[in-house]
Amino acid sequence: MKLAVLMSDYRNGIDMIDRLSAESLGIILVGNGVYHAAVKEGGKTSSLLDKKANFYALTEDFETRGITAANLDSRVKAVNYGDVVDIIFNDYEKVVWI
Amino acid sequence: MATKKLAFIVRSLPYKTEASRLALTHAIASQTVEIYLNDGDLVEASVSYVGDGVLNCLKGQQGMKHYGITTIEGHAKNSLLLDMRVLICKEDLDKFGLTEDNILMDAEDIGGETKANVVSYGEIQKEMDAATHILVC
Repeated sequence: MKLAVLMSDYRNGIDMIDRLSAESLGIILVGNGVYHAAVKEGGKTSSLLDKKANFYALTEDFETRGITAANLDSRVKAVNYGDVVDIIFNDYEKVVWI
Repeated sequence: MATKKLAFIVRSLPYKTEASRLALTHAIASQTVEIYLNDGDLVEASVSYVGDGVLNCLKGQQGMKHYGITTIEGHAKNSLLLDMRVLICKEDLDKFGLTEDNILMDAEDIGGETKANVVSYGEIQKEMDAATHILVC
């Protein structure tokens, strides 16, 4: 299964993602999920980024929160709404929202 | 004559919910309630950012550009413009690796003279101790 996960929360949901199994996993960080892409707590990046997955962060949402593309972890690709649509339709078979 | 002190404690992240914005809105609106009070009675509001709430203070928010909404940053500047006491927890800024350079500290660009204060959590605790009402958002 090729699965895209829309992650819109910062404090909840990693436990669910940890249990997901997919041949190809894409994690699209939107809403408050974008903090996973840029925030370091105690100098450590989010444990979410340790998952074997392709990571994307929605530019509109991280810029709204005062985060720039330069702040993103190198594992995360900045995308816009159009890119998200393309990613969902072209690269994955199923989508879940957490 | 009495002063009611309101301590708004912002602990939630911005935008996904309205909690942090409402804290600012209510703190600012509390300044207008005096027309309903007896002569000499006052309401003083302060806003303190703790935990994840300090991320409300990041500079350069672009909500207007992307979604046509007033940013939390703009709201917070309005509170400084009204000389509201704004406290930001230093321990939580340190936890996120943030410094005063990364966060909103003043509203000079809109004519504000009051600055935000980066303080230890102990100072925010004192603010709560001194408050008549504590409102956690």
